[in-house]
Amino acid sequence: MERSRPELNGLICKARRYIVLMAGYDPGMHLGSSLSVVEIAAALYGTGRVKFNVANGTRDRNYFVLSKGHAVHAIYALAAAMGYLSIDELRETGSLGSRLQNHPEVDTPFVDVPNSGSLGQGISIAVGLALGLRLRGEPGRVYLVTGDGELDEGQSWESFAVAAHYGLNNLVTIVDLNGVQLDGHSEEVLRKGDLAARFRSLGFEVFEVDGHDVGQIIEALEKAERSAKPPVIIAKTVRGRGVPPIEDTAKQRLSRDDALKYAGNIC
Amino acid sequence: MLDLEGLTPREALGRALADLGDLRKDVVVLVADTGETTRARFFAERYPERFFNVGIAEQALVGIAAGLALAGFMPYALTFAAFMARAWEQARNSVDRMNLPVRLVGTHAGFADAYDGSSHQMLEDIAIFRVLPNFTVLVPADSCEVYRAVTASAAVKGPVYVRVGRDFHIPTTCGMYDRFEVGRAYVAVEGGDVAIFTTGITLPFAVEAAQLLKDRGISAAVVHFPTVKPLDYAAVEKYASATGAVLTVEEHMVHGGFGSAVAEHLSQTKPAKMAIMGLKSYGRTAKNPQELYQYYGLTPENIAARAEELVRLR
Repeated sequence: MERSRPELNGLICKARRYIVLMAGYDPGMHLGSSLSVVEIAAALYGTGRVKFNVANGTRDRNYFVLSKGHAVHAIYALAAAMGYLSIDELRETGSLGSRLQNHPEVDTPFVDVPNSGSLGQGISIAVGLALGLRLRGEPGRVYLVTGDGELDEGQSWESFAVAAHYGLNNLVTIVDLNGVQLDGHSEEVLRKGDLAARFRSLGFEVFEVDGHDVGQIIEALEKAERSAKPPVIIAKTVRGRGVPPIEDTAKQRLSRDDALKYAGNIC
Repeated sequence: MLDLEGLTPREALGRALADLGDLRKDVVVLVADTGETTRARFFAERYPERFFNVGIAEQALVGIAAGLALAGFMPYALTFAAFMARAWEQARNSVDRMNLPVRLVGTHAGFADAYDGSSHQMLEDIAIFRVLPNFTVLVPADSCEVYRAVTASAAVKGPVYVRVGRDFHIPTTCGMYDRFEVGRAYVAVEGGDVAIFTTGITLPFAVEAAQLLKDRGISAAVVHFPTVKPLDYAAVEKYASATGAVLTVEEHMVHGGFGSAVAEHLSQTKPAKMAIMGLKSYGRTAKNPQELYQYYGLTPENIAARAEELVRLR
């Protein structure tokens, strides 16, 4: 389904508001990390590249791997904004009986790889999926979203090297470059070097965009999908985007009152 | 007809995979720069399009195998057992938690890689894969059993770890039974005074020990467990009850391995006099595995002595 940019921006705004509201109920969720990835998720789900209502075993489709699984609340929120989850269920996130766990689990809806809590592992799985789709002769793509802190893991680069070596241009990688990880600013925790150059040197085609501009992300996706090499979109984002006191910090929590206040300011 | 006894364990592994490739189009094989040394090459030569080398990268090896399983394939991922351990957390999080049909094959296990020394001699793999809830753990004794275990592993629903050696083995199981069943123990020698339980390459040592014991008037049963998990509890209980004395023997640390699995079960069901034989520390470089079995006391003479001791204590 084609959505206009204003429609997409409406979804993004709604999803961001839901994320902030969830934080008021669930102190265990990763608020800042979820807020940086909203436009990226909307560029994928909102354009129909990946879908919320995919029956198990469906072939000839695209896959979505959220390797930064701690940001899964962005996906829950977007699902609710698009009508696939109720607000009541969102409120239950992080509860023992809820299927909306704080990292994707086997019973978590809407994620193709239900165990991406351990960083770097979703990247390997996405590479395996892309290899598998190609081997089956399927036209589908794998859309992989990683964090930048996650790129500290050796497994990440092991896997990207395999993607490049096997020329997996059916794997579309998007790096949510929010510049912050658990202990603070990513460059201070551990130098990342020139990310674009690292990917290029392996054999990737690199696209750099403003990760809060859904139009830029979609344009980059369209180019990435035509790339002969494995493409990577490096999306510069702000952790905690939309909640000023936590923006560009490692903070992840809000009181319920603050959550209501900041959610009200979003849209 | 394939002469399995004439193959080394790793050649049996490579042949089993190549033959599985004929039977099942969903079988894919991955290696970490170990296509030649694991003999996965036999599969690669027959099915190059279903063979992937990920380089010296064990974490990616296991993770990519998980992705291929999600895409509907049955991946066999092979590397040295010692380095498969590097991807234990990937085995836990990317494979076991989703109960994916990924088969991890750790080769050069135990003292099989005598030349390379303790860094390459994996004595802990049974323990670390046995602890994962969904993994099946297969520990074949010789090339016949490697071929049969790998073939049988294809029918297992969840993940499997297969422990394979390199070149050393003493052919024992080829004529011992007709069909390999996952989860089943096989009786190599019947006896009533003491039960010797073995897994993996130590089976022939125990069979020889039973002969030594027989000469001393002690009737020892030898029961072989090529599947460590799920363990054949019925066989464990039957021989523990019948003899009241159980000696386990494995080419693995005495903590957390096969002996521990037997002890965990018997202590809660039919406590028996028990001893666990295996290793307590790392190996060393040697000219061949046999030197190491001698050096660390994994010999028929020592097995017989421990069994005799147990009979006296009973």
